[in-house]
Formats: sequence, C-alpha cells, structure tokens
Amino acid sequence: MRDNVIIKTDGLCKYYGEEIHALHEVSAEIKRGEVVVIIGPSGSGKSTFLRSLNLLESATKGKVYFEGVDITDPKIDINVHRQKMGMVFQNFNLFPHLTVLKNIILAPVKLRKMTKQEAEAEAMKLLEMVGLADRRDAYPAQLSGGQKQRIAIVRALCMKPDVMLFDEPTSALDPEMVGEVLDVMKKLATEGMTMAVVTHEMGFAREVADRVIFMDSGMIVEEGTPDEIFSNPKNDRTKAFLSKVL
Amino acid sequence: MEISRKRFKNTVIITVMALLLGVVIGIVVAMIRSTFDKTGKDMKRRGGFGYYLFYLVDMLCKVYLTVIRGTPVVVQLLIAYFIIFASSNNGIMVAAIAFGINSGAYVAEILRGGIMSIDNGQFEASRSLGFNYVQTMIYVVIPQVFKTVLPTLLNEFIALIKETSIAGYVGIMDLTKGGDIIRGRTFSAFLPLFAVALIYLIIVVFLTHVVGKVERRLRKSER
Repeated sequence: MRDNVIIKTDGLCKYYGEEIHALHEVSAEIKRGEVVVIIGPSGSGKSTFLRSLNLLESATKGKVYFEGVDITDPKIDINVHRQKMGMVFQNFNLFPHLTVLKNIILAPVKLRKMTKQEAEAEAMKLLEMVGLADRRDAYPAQLSGGQKQRIAIVRALCMKPDVMLFDEPTSALDPEMVGEVLDVMKKLATEGMTMAVVTHEMGFAREVADRVIFMDSGMIVEEGTPDEIFSNPKNDRTKAFLSKVL
Repeated sequence: MEISRKRFKNTVIITVMALLLGVVIGIVVAMIRSTFDKTGKDMKRRGGFGYYLFYLVDMLCKVYLTVIRGTPVVVQLLIAYFIIFASSNNGIMVAAIAFGINSGAYVAEILRGGIMSIDNGQFEASRSLGFNYVQTMIYVVIPQVFKTVLPTLLNEFIALIKETSIAGYVGIMDLTKGGDIIRGRTFSAFLPLFAVALIYLIIVVFLTHVVGKVERRLRKSER
C-alpha cells in the first residue's frame, strides 16, 4: 500500500485563532499516477489544503505523509522532500531577474547537482514540450500570462518531481490563454504524472481527473470519480455548488 | 598641493571604509530583522530556545537602529573619538568606524524595506523548489532587492560622503578641514571653500553617473 500512496494526510487541521477553521480534519490520499482535482467554493480551504501538502502552509494539527515519510515531523528536512513535489502557483511567481532558461535550471543546478549542460538539455526538452523553446532567453516580463504559467510548469518539472501540485493555475489568466495551460497539464496527466489540482475549470476536472474532491468550509464533503461527482452528486452542498458553476 | 592631496585622500579613505563597514552591518542587521519578521511567528509556535535567542538578537538590532538614527552623527563621532576610542591616536580609523556604524543603520533599513517589498510569492516559489531560507535569500531575493534599492542606497552613500566633512570636528585632516585651514592661512575664503565644494560635487556627479549605468543594465529584465 505504501508504494502506491504517494501523499496521505491524516486529520489535517488549520485554525486561525479559535474561531476560524480553514481546514478541519481533512484526511485524504493521492495515489501514484493519479490525477486528483479539488473543487469547491472560494474560502472552502482547497488552496490551504494543497499548500499544506508541501508545508507552505503549516497545519495546526494532523500529519502529512509523503512517500511514507511524516513530513510534518519538525525533525525532518522539508527542503529535501519539497524537491520532489513540484508546485505551480496562481500568480506564476517566476523570478523576474532571471531569463526563462535560468529560471528553469536554477534549482536543478543548485539542488540536484546537475551540471549546467545537463540541466539546460533537460530544460530545452521540456520547453520544446510546452512549445516555448524559442523564448529561452526572454525575461518573464516579456511573456504573456499563459507563457509564464507554462514556464512555471516547466520550472517545476525540471526538478523531476514525483508529484505536481497546481494551485489554481489558470485563475489569473485571460480566457484565451487558459487552454494552452490546460493542454500542457493534460499532456502531463496522460504521461502518468501524479497531480493534485485546485481549479475552477470544471471541464478539465471532468475530462482529466481520476478522482474529484469537493471541499466546503475546510472539510472534504464528497469525493469520487468525475462521473459520480458531476452527474450524480449525493451531497446537497455539492449539488448547490455544481448548479452554480456548471 | 601635497598637503591638500593627502587631505583629499583622507576623505576618500574615511568614506570608502565607512561605506564597506556600513554595507556589512546593514546586510547583517537587515537579514536578522527581516528573517525575524518573516519567520519569528513560526519559530515561536514551534517553541524552543532558538526563538528566545533570536528574539534577543532582533531586540539588539532594534536598539542599535533607534539609537543611531535618533542621535546626531556629530555627537556619535564625538563620543567615538573622545570616549569609546579615547586611547586610539588613529583619528581616521575612528572616524571611519563611527561613520560606518552610523551608515549601517540607514543601509539596514533601506535593505529591510527592499526585502519586505519582494512579493511573498517569490519566497514561496523558491521554497517550493526545495531551496532553504538562506538559499532563497541569496539566489532569489537579494538580486531583486539590490535592483529596487539601488537608487536609495546611492542617496545614502552620497549623504555619507558629504557627512564625512564633519570629521574636522575632532581634528581629522579631511578635505573640508583642509580647505578651512587654507582659508585661515591665506585670509581668502572664496577660492579654498569653492574648490572644496567643487571636489565634493565632482565625486557625487561621477558616482551618480556610474550607478545610473549599473541601474540601466540591471533594468534589462524589465524591458
């Protein structure tokens, strides 16, 4: 079982003060090769949940296991584990002072001890995959939103992660650029990448997800296959949410 | 002529040494203060002895900043010369240290402002790749901070060059004091004082030009 489950959370809670429960007793699993899409209304805790998987958000209570290791244990070196968890943000967060290529190879060269040549070769392969090989020497400010996000995905991929976390990757994009980013994500999914995606793109969830998790008020309300969630939701809150967004 | 050259040299020595000292102090204090601001809460939650040590160091930095920025630099120079380093007879060294400690406080606050102005997403992106806090600072944050604070830092350095003119207060033969002495000897105020002013002006204009060039190069990534 341990080999199959890549991330597991156990009773994850995140409280701000006494009153506000951003997360409450969230227990979930992500299996190797699985694409899990997390949906829910804003403020439902889905981003907090995703960000607590690589400890960008530290949980008040509960455990996160990554590849069998309890990464919420203060004694472990979280940086080692983060190298294997790629993350893509809503606001891209490319490093503005570095060119595209340098953005991508910075971490592999410094942390994975790749040589510059190896890292560049890998980066170019990935840039080819997202169709941006010709922008290797551009600075982030010269790119469109969709291009930035595709570069951000490549930057995370170049570390050869075991899982990719996507935190609303298309929410800051103009509508006509959403497609190009989703296409890259679909390609990743078909290549067997393990992915956890927080998104409002219901079409993507329905088409690509192996499993959909619906969250509300910091809790997992319902989870199942896209078909179960979208065509036949059982919980009233899921129904109410889907009737508004679909 | 020989004497004036030596005095000019003293001004340069004091400025350069104070500048280096100020930058070193500034970086260290800015790092401590911004790291505490950013991670202190987290450390407190996890508890332990480290937090209290960190708290104490941060407190010391705050006291340093308050005292230095709250008292006139002339008074600081006098205290350094007549009390702290009273036994030293190397006036230039004392002045360099006094101006360096003074400048460090201003540089620290400039840098801290720069660090705090960097979007939190930059920290998160870097940490999510597996960089630790120090690596994040070195590879991601500092290069960006340097670019944004460069004009403000330049202002601080220009202020420092001119501030060193009060070194004459404690009898150090710097450029200003030299000009003043020539005034006393020749009974003509006009030429020596304007010459001194011109020399300061040339230095400042030259530096502004150099930094402007560096700035334009750094800004390449915004085009």
